[in-house]
Amino acid sequence: MKRFLFCLAAMLVAASAFAQVPSVKVENSKGETFDTASLLEEATPMIVSFWSTTCKPCIRELEAIYESLPDWLEEVDFRVVAVSTDDSRQLAKAKSFAEGRGWGSDFTLLFDKNQDFMRAMNVPVVPHVFVIDAKGKIVFSHTAYVQGGEVELFEAVKKSVRK
Amino acid sequence: MKKTVLAILCLAFAAAASAQEKKDWGYVTGSLESNNNLYVEDVANDFYPSMQPQLKDGNTFASNDYLKVDYYKDRLSAGLQMEMYSPTLVGYPISENVLALSNLYVSWKDKSYSVTAGTFYDQFGSGLLFRSWEDRMLGLNNALLGVRATYGWEDKIAFKAFWGIPRLGKISDNVAMMGYEGDFFGFGLTDVNVAGADLSISISRLLGMDALSLSLEGSVLNKHEAIPVDFEKLSEAGCLENNIGWSGRLNMDYDGFFFKGEYVDAGKQIVSVPAAMNGRKAENGNAQLVELGYNGNGLGLTVTGRRMQRMNQRIYNYNGSDNGYESAANMLSYRPAMSTQYTYMLTTLNPYSPQVGDKVIKAGEIGGQIDAFYNFRRGTKLGGKRGMKVHANFSSWYSLNENGGTEGSELLYRDFSIDVEKQWTKKFKSTLMYCMQDYNKHHEMTGRYIGTAHVVVADMLYKWTSKLSSRLELQYLSSKDDQKDWMAGLLEVNFAPHWSVFASDMWNHGDTKLHYYNAGVSFSMSNLRVAAGYGRYRAGYICSGGVCRAIPAYTGANLSLTASF
Repeated sequence: MKRFLFCLAAMLVAASAFAQVPSVKVENSKGETFDTASLLEEATPMIVSFWSTTCKPCIRELEAIYESLPDWLEEVDFRVVAVSTDDSRQLAKAKSFAEGRGWGSDFTLLFDKNQDFMRAMNVPVVPHVFVIDAKGKIVFSHTAYVQGGEVELFEAVKKSVRK
Repeated sequence: MKKTVLAILCLAFAAAASAQEKKDWGYVTGSLESNNNLYVEDVANDFYPSMQPQLKDGNTFASNDYLKVDYYKDRLSAGLQMEMYSPTLVGYPISENVLALSNLYVSWKDKSYSVTAGTFYDQFGSGLLFRSWEDRMLGLNNALLGVRATYGWEDKIAFKAFWGIPRLGKISDNVAMMGYEGDFFGFGLTDVNVAGADLSISISRLLGMDALSLSLEGSVLNKHEAIPVDFEKLSEAGCLENNIGWSGRLNMDYDGFFFKGEYVDAGKQIVSVPAAMNGRKAENGNAQLVELGYNGNGLGLTVTGRRMQRMNQRIYNYNGSDNGYESAANMLSYRPAMSTQYTYMLTTLNPYSPQVGDKVIKAGEIGGQIDAFYNFRRGTKLGGKRGMKVHANFSSWYSLNENGGTEGSELLYRDFSIDVEKQWTKKFKSTLMYCMQDYNKHHEMTGRYIGTAHVVVADMLYKWTSKLSSRLELQYLSSKDDQKDWMAGLLEVNFAPHWSVFASDMWNHGDTKLHYYNAGVSFSMSNLRVAAGYGRYRAGYICSGGVCRAIPAYTGANLSLTASF
């Protein structure tokens, strides 16, 4: 069973290894239209994290990233993009929530109110994180969050730079 | 033998990955979600599998499964979604065994324009005039099948237009396959069609302003639904085959201050009346939404106000119950409850369901909410060494009378909550919450019965090592109404990065003395998550994105799997 799960996971990683970031229109924190393809213009690695205000593991994961970020940035140059999947009920709240946590200063905040970007990236549930290398290729992704899982995420970021 | 097959599969995938990287044949991506329940009879919970409409011939197993696959090659994309119900989980719209193709699309995206043919989702503004979306938790999928075109002039002007047929109703014979057959609400196409257009102009980008963000937006939507011949009285009652609605919107943001205003005229909306007029009459529907606030310097403040009058905006208005008229999924727009969406067990017992004005005695609702988030920074007196986060919310909603006025309006829902999150040490973090809810009897919303509940929650997380952590939730609900007092607890132990186990219990010690216990384990690795559990679930409402659906009580084991590739 363990071998089957390992092989299945390995196949999924292999299949997603050549996936990229599609062009989808979302909102930035000012409510303006933002094309997700433009995330690749900076050509630096990034963590893309899908979250919502009603998803507690998502918030715990982003908080863990936020707390560790100053130390991580001393080792590797990369960005964090937090994509809220809250619909219009929670959209304004999600922006205030992110500001109330100080994320706005350290993360690029995007808002995917009809879950178009989430669908295009084939994210079935949140939390879901991707590590995207400087060439725009998805090199790591992970669904769900267990406290402490951010260590594995940062290892993937470092690996994406070494490649 | 099995090992050999697995090894070949792994190698084939690796080879495919390598080949695709070299030749740039594009890439395939997808996701799989499978939710399975095995039900057991539970007299105390008043749950009998044999009495569930979809569980027949002694069957106690049900499963909802979704497979989505997309292909991307430069500007071209195409995809499909398959859904299988064998049969649907208890509480979902009733179905026999079904396997069907639910979504299929092909799309071309250039720098300034795009064209999509097949199924697609879209939304105008906040969705009050039009929204098509998928919510698997609710069993809702009102995707349109048709054509959509978009055009954008740089990032200054965006235009889109579409025509399509909403999904809903009976499954077509030609998509049932592999021995599966039957009806499933949400599959199949309606005989309704909609056409819409939306224009967004960024004034600030046109004028080259950086600090100020200002945009004007507008939408128009036409829905066509034939009036059945035997319903000729509907025309006398003002019902139309073609209904046109429109909306205007203004968005502004300056240095953290923001304002968003939306006015919607939904055209003629259909209200349920006694049988004298075939049960329907038409009235004008309209809604106003205002959001304003400030985000900056660790403060997030949002004030929201909304008024809705006759905003039911259904897909089907004139057809009977055979086509799912009464279903929560019979909607073309999004009218969520504008109140806090709670997540702790005891805070979700009495969710608010918004009043859209589909019943003649109440034309809709009016109300507002205030949300404030504040981050006490590190090093401040209250923030301490590691900072402290505070959130408070207040919302209050009232009914509109038959004419849309506020005379004689009644309280529908009111709540207040405050939560404080504090990281005490590197290892210990806590969240304390207090919540008060004045709630109306669900759906009837007569204003004659208001219950009050006070809930306190303590949520504590302790990191034993970098990989081992535990989380404890303690909750208490105090009330003199309904089932009186409740208490609840949850213990979760996490073994990073893969494993998590939990056990919880929700006990109604004020009335029924019933325990709603639950225990489970989950494993996640890369894009794969598998979770299994066993528990007793209370009858109530699943509310997702502001839409609520009644679910019956049930007891049983569940196994869920999500994977993406």
